[in-house]
Amino acid sequence: MRIVMKFGGTSVGSGENIRHVGDLVTQYSKKHKVAVVVSALAGVTNSLIETGCQAQKSDQVQIESFTSSLLKRHIDATVSAINSKSIQKEVIEITEKSVAELEKVLTGICYVGELTPKSKNYVMSFGERLSAPIVCGAIKDHKTQSLFFTGKEAGIVTDSNFGEATPLMNYTSHLLRERLDPVMEQGIVPVVTGFTAANQDGIVTTVGRGGSDYTATILGVALQADEVWIWTDVDGIMTTDPKLVPAARMLPQLSYQEAAEMAIFGAKAMHPRALGPVNIENIPVRIRNTHNPKNSGTLITKEPAENKTKPVKAVALIKDVAMVNVYGAAMVGAPGSYAKVFDVLGKNNINVMMVSSAVSEANISMVIKRNMLGRAVSNIEIALHERGGIISEVTTEDDVAAIAVMGAHMKGTLGVASKIFNIVAKKGINIRMIAQGSSELNISFVVKEKDGAAVVQAIHEEFNLDKP
Amino acid sequence: MRIILVGYGVVGKGVTTILSRRYTEKNKNFGFNPKVVAVADVDGAVINPQGLSPDKLEEIKQGGYPISADPEFGCPGIKALNVIKEVEAEVVVEITPVNIKTAEPAMSHIVQAFKTGKHVVTTNKGPLALAMPALTELAQYNNVYFRFSGTVGGGTPVLEFAKRCLAGDQILGIKGILNGTTNYILSEMSQNRISFQDALSTAQKLGYAEREPSMDIDGFDTACKTVILANWILGQKVTLKDVERTGIREVSLQDLDRASKLGNTIKLVGAIDDKNKPVVKPVEISKTNPLCVSGVLNAVTFQCEFAAEQTIVGRGAGGIETAGAVLRDLLDIRHKLAAKLLT
Repeated sequence: MRIVMKFGGTSVGSGENIRHVGDLVTQYSKKHKVAVVVSALAGVTNSLIETGCQAQKSDQVQIESFTSSLLKRHIDATVSAINSKSIQKEVIEITEKSVAELEKVLTGICYVGELTPKSKNYVMSFGERLSAPIVCGAIKDHKTQSLFFTGKEAGIVTDSNFGEATPLMNYTSHLLRERLDPVMEQGIVPVVTGFTAANQDGIVTTVGRGGSDYTATILGVALQADEVWIWTDVDGIMTTDPKLVPAARMLPQLSYQEAAEMAIFGAKAMHPRALGPVNIENIPVRIRNTHNPKNSGTLITKEPAENKTKPVKAVALIKDVAMVNVYGAAMVGAPGSYAKVFDVLGKNNINVMMVSSAVSEANISMVIKRNMLGRAVSNIEIALHERGGIISEVTTEDDVAAIAVMGAHMKGTLGVASKIFNIVAKKGINIRMIAQGSSELNISFVVKEKDGAAVVQAIHEEFNLDKP
Repeated sequence: MRIILVGYGVVGKGVTTILSRRYTEKNKNFGFNPKVVAVADVDGAVINPQGLSPDKLEEIKQGGYPISADPEFGCPGIKALNVIKEVEAEVVVEITPVNIKTAEPAMSHIVQAFKTGKHVVTTNKGPLALAMPALTELAQYNNVYFRFSGTVGGGTPVLEFAKRCLAGDQILGIKGILNGTTNYILSEMSQNRISFQDALSTAQKLGYAEREPSMDIDGFDTACKTVILANWILGQKVTLKDVERTGIREVSLQDLDRASKLGNTIKLVGAIDDKNKPVVKPVEISKTNPLCVSGVLNAVTFQCEFAAEQTIVGRGAGGIETAGAVLRDLLDIRHKLAAKLLT
């Protein structure tokens, strides 16, 4: 088999973990052709962004202390990940060079006092540029041949949308095949920096949402892999948060669509954007645990072979959200009035997570992140609630939680919604808002936050989610 | 329209000749005012922003000198890539020799042209055979036109026929005799009852086959053209590697005789449909099939949903014929650009 393996930030969080990654890759590369994608060491990307922002404020002292601690962290990781002194030396040399370059870049930002999207992307790319050589060294330390590439060197070419770049998939496939195929055919494991790429002029870009997972699926498609494995620190995608329901079970199989719905499970699942390339080419993705490689994880495919009589597969509790309701008789029958509301929110960088509105058109209910509530209300009022505006009243509830019930076989199955709402009613809990798209993959509703956990537990139990 | 010619071989000369021939007529009928502002080849380039005279280029080449030897505008040693990057022009015409291993240098030339916002016309099959999905994507991303009608059928408008004349119809499959050399050899073998080797020697003597004939007789050339048809007409994403390919070396006189008794003959056919990978191999076809052309002719049959079978026949190679295809592409680009600039 040809496998693209991605190791996330926690999988390469310490020297010890990186050594373990080297061991895992070596084991699999004996039987399979393996290409590796790595994230930055846990926490490094965020610290790079922070320092970049500080450099913009011309804080030079900060740069020196940051780069020296960054260098130390990577050298420490190298020393504990790699036994061979000569490989250690090689990796440390590369690390020192990269950190010296980073220091120059940060100093430049400091002088100019400006962090453009371009330079920010460049700074961010150093996280992976520093982690990849160590992982490559750790693989070599296990007597497996390996070479490391930046996304740019490997041939990932994107548009110039810095921070949220999209690959030119055909051109990228062409270059990746040309550069990595011969390497893999010789039994060498290529290690590619996740998250980072370059535009056609060679300027560093980052792929944004989806991150290194996205890089892995791009590689999977380009190299015509049989599977893409996302190594992380959990066994797979669960039926719900095990902290809420101890009986929560790992899901052995999911469809791409279901997996995309489960993005709200956070880092444990994959961003829908990352699933885009593999979905088109029908390449299976497996979520696996680096600390429990015996477990085969969650397999994401086009049509999972599983129990089709089970309509509900998972339930999630989404906390830290708030509900905004806007009312206005002027909205009724007026084309474009909803657009105005969402436009105001979009322009203020507020993401709308859930929407519901009745056919009467007199009000819209929305769920947003709780910390955005003040900004949302204020801006809607300023823009649309003045005299002559379309909104006559804005109300909010900030003590709510959203619950999402998911499963591909909910589609066309009668009575799922009634069953869900019956359970909630039996618990004496009031539902504040409901949304179900016509895809029928997901029913979402809002309850008071204090009732959230109880609702999730009840649904998990009612639909027997703890059993296969 | 300002044009950079990259490569100055048989087709290159054909292009300059055609552009200067009946110039007034072109200007009047098509509003087409072509100016070759640079010609680049392996030795260097000749550059004149006012436009170069085809006669003078011809004269230097005739004298056995590289075109960069021009005393007035010659730039010996300058790289084609730099010419593409730095000389101001609307279109790059890429006509360097075909390379189906790496597609270079044409691949880099085309990518460089795209990056600098220049439209590209090429007759070079190499880059298309190896990276067609990548190149069409890159052209689209850079908002430039990419035309290559000379790559299939030489002067015969095979690609336009399918793309334009059959627009709206669904093309279900394509079968083609796409290589004049092999078709000449097979025709000679069956009509004059001579062996493959003898037919090949005759073809080489007449200049139809190269001294190193593998590109033709092992089916690589047909495979390249099949890839182009598969991508451009059927929207598949395939490259040369995906083609199942058999050449004509193993075709014997006995095979041809046996076919002849059944009213058939053997032709090297490139075939594509929407289910299978492209296939290039010698196949038996009926002598009454419109696809069954002899000599150096090419023929392509499109199997359509509504129009049923449509076959186009014509000469598949030749410097001036292929240069004619370049002119068509240039006019098409001019037309599209005008529409764009006026909206």
